[in-house]
Amino acid sequence: MSATVLENPLRTGMRLERTAEPCVVVIFGATGDLTKRKLVPALYRLVQERLVPAEFAIVGAARTELSSEEFRANMKEAVAQFSEAKSVDDEVWASFAQGLHYLKVDIGTNEDYVKLGAKLDEIDQERGTQGNRVFYLSVAPSLYAEAVRQLGQSGLAKPKEGRKGWVRVIIEKPFGTDLQSAQALNHDIHQHLDESQIYRIDHYLGKETVQNLLVFRFANGIYEPLWNRQYIDHVQITNAETVGVEGRGGYYEKAGVVRDMLQNHVFQVLSLVAMEPPASLNSESVRDEKIKAMTAVRPFTPERIRTECVRGQYGAGSINGKQVPGYREEEGVAPGSATETFAMLTMYFDNWRWSGVPFYIRSGKRLAKRVTEIAIQFKDAPHKLFGSEMMEQMSPNQLIIRVQPDEGITMRVAAKVPGQVTRIRDVNMDFRYGASFGVQLAEAYERLLLDCILGDPTLYARTDMTERGWEIVMPLLEEWAAAKAEAPFPNYEAGTWGPQATHDLLERTGRRWRRP
Amino acid sequence: MSEIQKSSAAASAPQGIDVGRLEKELAANWQNSAGGAEDSGVMRVCVLNLIIYATHKEDRAKLDELLDEVTAHVPSRALVLIADRDSAEARLEAYVSMRCQTESRGGAKKVCGEQVTIVAAGAAVDAAASAIEPLVVPDVPVFLWWKDIPHEEDKLFNRLVELTDRVVIDSLVFDKPHEDMKRLAQIVAGRRQFMLASDLNWGRLTSWRNLIASFWDVPDYRTHLDALDDVIVEYDPPDVATGEIAAQALLVAGWLASALKWEPTGEFAREGKSARWVMRAGERKLNVILRAADERQGCDGLVATLKLKCGATSAEFYVGVNEGWTKLETSARIGGAQTVGRVVSYEAKSEGQRLSRELNILSRDEVYEGAVACVGRLIEVLQKS
Repeated sequence: MSATVLENPLRTGMRLERTAEPCVVVIFGATGDLTKRKLVPALYRLVQERLVPAEFAIVGAARTELSSEEFRANMKEAVAQFSEAKSVDDEVWASFAQGLHYLKVDIGTNEDYVKLGAKLDEIDQERGTQGNRVFYLSVAPSLYAEAVRQLGQSGLAKPKEGRKGWVRVIIEKPFGTDLQSAQALNHDIHQHLDESQIYRIDHYLGKETVQNLLVFRFANGIYEPLWNRQYIDHVQITNAETVGVEGRGGYYEKAGVVRDMLQNHVFQVLSLVAMEPPASLNSESVRDEKIKAMTAVRPFTPERIRTECVRGQYGAGSINGKQVPGYREEEGVAPGSATETFAMLTMYFDNWRWSGVPFYIRSGKRLAKRVTEIAIQFKDAPHKLFGSEMMEQMSPNQLIIRVQPDEGITMRVAAKVPGQVTRIRDVNMDFRYGASFGVQLAEAYERLLLDCILGDPTLYARTDMTERGWEIVMPLLEEWAAAKAEAPFPNYEAGTWGPQATHDLLERTGRRWRRP
Repeated sequence: MSEIQKSSAAASAPQGIDVGRLEKELAANWQNSAGGAEDSGVMRVCVLNLIIYATHKEDRAKLDELLDEVTAHVPSRALVLIADRDSAEARLEAYVSMRCQTESRGGAKKVCGEQVTIVAAGAAVDAAASAIEPLVVPDVPVFLWWKDIPHEEDKLFNRLVELTDRVVIDSLVFDKPHEDMKRLAQIVAGRRQFMLASDLNWGRLTSWRNLIASFWDVPDYRTHLDALDDVIVEYDPPDVATGEIAAQALLVAGWLASALKWEPTGEFAREGKSARWVMRAGERKLNVILRAADERQGCDGLVATLKLKCGATSAEFYVGVNEGWTKLETSARIGGAQTVGRVVSYEAKSEGQRLSRELNILSRDEVYEGAVACVGRLIEVLQKS
């Protein structure tokens, strides 16, 4: 993956080799939850790890009237609460806080951008940040286009004429609410930004195991020859949450699981599983291969939606021994809501590699366990040499890539049980990040923020990928919206693995869902 | 959380060690830990072999603590060789043990590493390598932590180096830093083809090197780097013979000289607590000054401050550790004006954490090798003067 590494003779051979140029990160929506839970703790850690230089600065921007001092105090509390260390050293914080500023900015007010520009010039002067800027849009999605328009019109979207420096904009998900709105948003932001300046963040791609997918597939010689229709029977991707809507009922009513999870996070992971080997690790090569794979996804027809997909909504149940209400009882949710909190899709890639291999994908809220994993199920051995009396357990080989929690990879193979007679059972060959490397994995936001500062967009979504994601799910969204009245909701109990129909669907093909 | 299970029987034989028996004892330990249950809850993990050489004077309890930490970070097969070279009696004995950590996230499942401890005395010490070799787990890397001063004529050292992918030493413990660093330079250069070296003392400098380098991540400061006049490194005097310069300070000087292609001119002077080398940087000359600071408790041999000065541009770059040895501070002054500085935590890492970090590195550290070679040349100049 490409990165800007400065030519500094003292950096040669340094163990911390990815070090960025001085820059200012401007966070729009600086009083929001994401800023305090993820962004500022991640930036604090990057500074602590010396991955960004001393000159690095942050400007928090939001509508709330706050002084820089108050903002610093709030952020100190946030870092203490949400960082891994759960504490902040006063002296170290004081040094970090020197580069932490706040400015009241109303997204739609032009004068505020003039003030912001002046503030950034002042910081360039004081700290030597040289016109390098990252604008992080952590605001309501309806404000993305306006923020970019204002940045463009105030001259902040490009480096000042005759001056060096770069400008990048990070845009949070959701990127649009359907294909049309995503296309419109892309059109609007391209009026002011080149594609190379746009970083559409999907924090799943910052997870270590997701990145390891590329390494696992393309740095090992033994898996790639098996990674196709000849040897793989099917693929299961499970993205399960135990939480409900967590007070975001209003948002979720409009979004549903397909918009909230499948179209972005899950499709990003799916594309890494299905893609062809890229020619290089250059960001464009990787992203080209991902979109090529997604282009081969078989369209959903009304018939396929009826027979190969399942939607669901949770009713009351219990999770981890605790009673939880049904979706319709959640705050902000309509009593007769037909919003899906669970979806299962059967996807096919109509290409040489994957022809005929089903990819079963399920994502939902209030499921039995919080887990995201990819299970590659291989075909059975061609000839059953060992009779059923020898098989204590008889399941095909599986390769399981766990994205969260407990990131790692497991290979399930058959082995002989020690003893005088031949008995066979499954054993797992486990690789766990925690056990093998004994390191604290970096937060996804740390990795992604650093990549953006370094100018490496590999782990960010490109225009074509966001639009393709919507293209794939639109028939599904339309079909389900049209048939809301027929939705048999609620149709799964909280704390289970979703509607019975998902199990029936696989059973009809002679397969079954893995219990993650 | 850690627990150690030692095998009750020690395999002891004056003629040698019964490797087969040791392996059987290890297997029995695994079975006992599993308790015969269907899902044992014990996970055997071995990502590398770690051979540790220590003398019999080593504090064994401390070594145990250290191995607990290492197992938590890098589960491995530890082959611990305790040597008493001065013993009149030739003796070789061994026992096995398991070292288990309860996974912090997973709950009940234990991640276990295994350990074979070999105690060798007298003439048996040199033969100990032949007992270690068959105990090495195949297909995973082999690290040697030589907890002593390496000597190139040492037969055991040479034999163990041949077995290993990487040798870890700690130049902080050198009792004659000048002579030992010179010897280290010779060992590293002489065995370059088959030995990769790590130095815990070099690892301690990572934060320092990173902060020093970060001054020149700012392109505008780059010009000062080519115009430096004085490099001043202050160090806490090592707890050794008076007048010896700390190995860590020598490494800082060696690193800067090697990275920036400075060569000693041969001009050297001792001025009080300072040692000054005149270096050539292309057409220019500059001073490298290593100065003993006032002693601080528990910081023997560690670098305390570093200043890089450039007269022509009135620039000064500073990195220093605070009084409590808990934070590093940087500052830069250009043309008399203070620029942005920062304070970062100075992680007081334990020896186990430092070792674990080195065990994750398998590639050649050419920067370290360059720095050590340069230190060798600096010491030659010092010894000639």
